[in-house]
Amino acid sequence: MSGGWTEGSALLVVILVGFLPTEIWRSLAILAGRRVEEGSALLHWVKAVATALLAAVVARLLFAPAGVLADMPLALRIGAVVGGVAAFMLVRRSIFAGVVAGEAILIAGSLMLGH
Amino acid sequence: MSSPAHSSPHREHHAPAAWFLRGAGHALSVPALVLFASYLGFGAVLQSVGFPLFAGLASTFLIWALPAQLILIGGLVSGTALPALALAVALSSMRLLPMVVSIAPHMRGTRRSLPAELICAHYVAMTVWLEGLRLLPRLPGEARVPFVLGLGNALIGISLLGTLTGYHVASEVPVPLAAGLLLLTPLSFTVLMVRNAATPTDWLALAAGLLIMPLTLHFEGGLDLLIAGIGGGTLAYGLGRLWERRR
Repeated sequence: MSGGWTEGSALLVVILVGFLPTEIWRSLAILAGRRVEEGSALLHWVKAVATALLAAVVARLLFAPAGVLADMPLALRIGAVVGGVAAFMLVRRSIFAGVVAGEAILIAGSLMLGH
Repeated sequence: MSSPAHSSPHREHHAPAAWFLRGAGHALSVPALVLFASYLGFGAVLQSVGFPLFAGLASTFLIWALPAQLILIGGLVSGTALPALALAVALSSMRLLPMVVSIAPHMRGTRRSLPAELICAHYVAMTVWLEGLRLLPRLPGEARVPFVLGLGNALIGISLLGTLTGYHVASEVPVPLAAGLLLLTPLSFTVLMVRNAATPTDWLALAAGLLIMPLTLHFEGGLDLLIAGIGGGTLAYGLGRLWERRR
């Protein structure tokens, strides 16, 4: 993708492909409000798809990263995230502990590899 | 502030500008730090994939939902067709609908105004929703719209600052720190998704996205996000329903 994007074309994509498909739900909530059924099968499916989509993007950032993260071995990238999740579960389900532990593993590993 | 008899928030009557500043003041909090750190990682990701800075900042202000922003950028990088990507973003953002429905009654002024309600709704994402549900019911009617605008704009401002800082810092700091910045997004979202997973369907959807995506990386045509996201999510939904029926 890099190189092919001018500010103008990128802004247009942000508006048409990002802003409109997001803002429509906020506006619809005000305009249609209570008429939207909650707890329906459709909403459960949407939640599962939204979770899988986000997980897929996260996996892409880990397995096919851009920039200097790509210079880190795959095992180190995965080890840092697994270590972060483990710290989260061990330290009172603290997100902060999980993120700090994962970052520490990656940065320590990177230093040991001589970066 | 005012005399002790007026210290209860119900009794206070300020100009809209004062309520706007009150809302902005409430933005300086732990949730704001979390937002700053999250958008720091997002800015670094933008820089690493070569996305233009101004359009990236515009995505923070206009979309104002980090999962949708990540799916947009991730889909653009993998070459997903734009209509399919718009569908993926819409599916990810649909969760905002019940959030806005639940907070909308607390975001109205004493006089109903549709434009004001639509503008206030724009600021609703996880942080404004959580803070709004906590703070707004205690405020007098005329305070609510300016308070939401103050809170929302201050939080977006902090997030824009995070995006900008991440974008610039990523290319300036030593390699281990730059790699750490780029790890921030996948690491924090993985931990968050593990925390939020409650039902078998949640766990299956998380596993499907994480495990199917690496298998589809070599596919041509930018179908990876659709297969892993929409396909994997649908599979998780079906298996989750079977699981719950068996019990």
